[in-house]
Amino acid sequence: MQHEAFANTEDFGGPDVAPGPGRISRPGADAPYADYELGKPYDEMFTREGAVRGPYAALDSRLSTLSLEELVRRQQTCEQSFLHQGITFTVYSDNRATERIIPTDLLPRIITASEWARLEAGLTQRIVALNLFLRDIYNEGRVLKDGVIPRTLIYGSKHYRREMRGLPVPHGAYVNICGSDMIRNEAGDFVVLEDNLRVPSGVSYMLANRDVARRAFPAVFRSMGVRPIEHYPLELLATLRSLTPFTEDVSIAVLTPGVFNSAYFEHAFLARQMGVELVEGRDLLVNDNVVYTRTTSGLKRIDVIYRRIDDDFIDPLNFREDSALGVPGLFNAYRAGNVTIANALGTGVADDKAVYAYVPRLIRYYLAEEPILNNVETFLCREEKSLSHVLANLDKLVVKAVGESGGYGMLVGPHASQKERDEFAAKIKADPDNYIAQPTIQLSTAPTFVGNGVEARHVDLRPFILHGAETKIVPGALTRVALKRGSLVVNSSQGGGSKDTWVLSQ
Amino acid sequence: MFYSIRHVTRFRYSAPVRESVMELRMQPRSEGPQTLRSFQIATNPRAQLYAYTDHLGNAVYHFNMLREHEELRIEAQAVVEMAPFPERPAKLDDLEWSRYNGFNLNDDHFDMLEPSKYARPSPELDAFMRIADLQKPVGDPLSALLTLQRGIYDSFEYQSGITEVNSPIEVALEQRRGVCQDFAHIMTAIARQWGIPARYVSGYLYHKGTRDRSSADATHAWVEAWLPSIGWIGFDPTNNIMAAERHVRAAVGRDYGDTPPTRGTYKGGADSELSIAVALEPTAAPVRHEDFLKVARPMSSPAPTPSMPERLYHQQQQQQQ
Repeated sequence: MQHEAFANTEDFGGPDVAPGPGRISRPGADAPYADYELGKPYDEMFTREGAVRGPYAALDSRLSTLSLEELVRRQQTCEQSFLHQGITFTVYSDNRATERIIPTDLLPRIITASEWARLEAGLTQRIVALNLFLRDIYNEGRVLKDGVIPRTLIYGSKHYRREMRGLPVPHGAYVNICGSDMIRNEAGDFVVLEDNLRVPSGVSYMLANRDVARRAFPAVFRSMGVRPIEHYPLELLATLRSLTPFTEDVSIAVLTPGVFNSAYFEHAFLARQMGVELVEGRDLLVNDNVVYTRTTSGLKRIDVIYRRIDDDFIDPLNFREDSALGVPGLFNAYRAGNVTIANALGTGVADDKAVYAYVPRLIRYYLAEEPILNNVETFLCREEKSLSHVLANLDKLVVKAVGESGGYGMLVGPHASQKERDEFAAKIKADPDNYIAQPTIQLSTAPTFVGNGVEARHVDLRPFILHGAETKIVPGALTRVALKRGSLVVNSSQGGGSKDTWVLSQ
Repeated sequence: MFYSIRHVTRFRYSAPVRESVMELRMQPRSEGPQTLRSFQIATNPRAQLYAYTDHLGNAVYHFNMLREHEELRIEAQAVVEMAPFPERPAKLDDLEWSRYNGFNLNDDHFDMLEPSKYARPSPELDAFMRIADLQKPVGDPLSALLTLQRGIYDSFEYQSGITEVNSPIEVALEQRRGVCQDFAHIMTAIARQWGIPARYVSGYLYHKGTRDRSSADATHAWVEAWLPSIGWIGFDPTNNIMAAERHVRAAVGRDYGDTPPTRGTYKGGADSELSIAVALEPTAAPVRHEDFLKVARPMSSPAPTPSMPERLYHQQQQQQQ
């Protein structure tokens, strides 16, 4: 499969040389690291003593041979490449929507083979447990009867879809596409910050970033044995195909809310890469319990829908009746087994920020294994003891509304004013069940080009997990960067950027 | 005894519409003293009907109509046999409250304890509970529910046209007027606040005499509350009676949103007019009744924006009276 969007293989730089034995860079002293701060957080490139970590040696040698002007030029070429390809997203604010390019950073973030092996095992374990959990709460509800998780957390969740009760799901796989948010803590361990089990986005940026970084540092890239990720669309297609009993003439469509959606670029990109239809709700109709797309040559049956629309909006007959984006009757066709929807409906109940706190217990409960990847310590404001702790320590905690995502409805205590904290405290007291809090986690820092040199910026990691007949994780991820110095917020809707992630084969 | 039920729903459009999709929850349930003897649905224009049982055990029929039409008529006909109801105690002992425990409560009950879209707490509900002296249940749960039923009956005037099918309970609470749907939601919300699982029932009432406030030619709605030592028991706050042989149950749910007799969408820029007629007659044996029914009270919905003919419109729904 060709990447039309990224077909330009011309290198950004001038002649690039394979890295030789480099000099020893000193962050905080030498160019381009003169302003590179090493603090409490784990740094991806430098040890606490300021020595370059092994996997970054080649990149460091290359950087030290490039002039500042050359770096600026390469960075600009990166950004232009994004702009030309239309890799944009939309920022919503109170009164306007602005289309922007995702700021991209040309310096890759590197993950070693052994680090990846652990991530892969841990993420697989987690998605298997979360799917067992979903199957359980939509069927016999063993986990509720055994008191492992409070019933009100499930029954009270706005993402719990009663309509899914008792419905069979292919391979028991409710979550077929997952994008978990990981961070690396001060000790250098990866921990899970959030499971995104509904309609996670960002995989197109993972692929676009690869294109950029590979061309910014072609020789370094070639010399390091970076594992390929370009086959992601093919793996996604295989996963979607595995969700239908049919083997021939399987018809798949990507269902998008439309061109005004912040991730429309990605929807179009994935549909093109997989060679399947990109449709909006109005392009589909249900007749006699079967889903069809309107084509110029008549109606064409659809077997699998990769939907990028939230549950609420997918079928105005069964869910939100004011939805203009959905397909009336779609859920009945789904219930009748005539179409598969990926992800299944009702997965949001398991990535609720309150349910998150229980995931380690769920792993032990369903798999009788210890979690390979840890959670971030989480205080549930619904528990009285936690609530008083949270209110007393607002200046040290990050507080999040349970049902929100994308950095909306959250308070970063240490960075907030007293007034903001007081206002938020009132919100928490008014509806404690709706809030969780976590210690401010020092996200790790990674070298990021900032215009006049390379500085440390906080990063997270979003790998993409596919789960159909089997679980597949393409060896790569979206590394999101908080571009503002000191900022911990990496969400693209809040001014974050991204960079390529190199998973090494050995 | 046997009841014959005929329920006609008619949508009329001012201009041709297409791609109608419709779901029906009209089939009387068959459980407990109530047994369904026959059931048919006919649509005009004709459509292929599909059916499933939803997670609450309600029979749901659905169909779609691609081609253009200016009228859609749905006629459901059922015969139900009603066995005598078992004798119910007038009151229970006070220990009944302690029986709401982990041994007796199961998943069906928990869902009916949580607030739902139309049956949820609000400042207006709190104010009503305070004024009507319903803040705390008095006596055993059964006595308390009977007090609650009477309290709603006494505090509200039955009047249609005050609330609409999708009105929140606040409208009826402010006006102290409404129809059975509103009263059922209010009673459900209060029972849940008291810790009693409560659910909404949609169905039909055989009206006899003039004491019933509800409307004989409409669908009816009431409440079921769960008492550990008896089970689900029906309360009809509209008429201040416990539900019994005269109440024919069609669908149960957390509130109206789970049980609408019709719900649907269509495409096309047209006004729509909804008419409903319900006739319920005792009958000696399961026979079919023809033409004993008048189409009552047409309801109109405002013209959808004509400038956007491709938009999707929601079918008007029938308020339960």
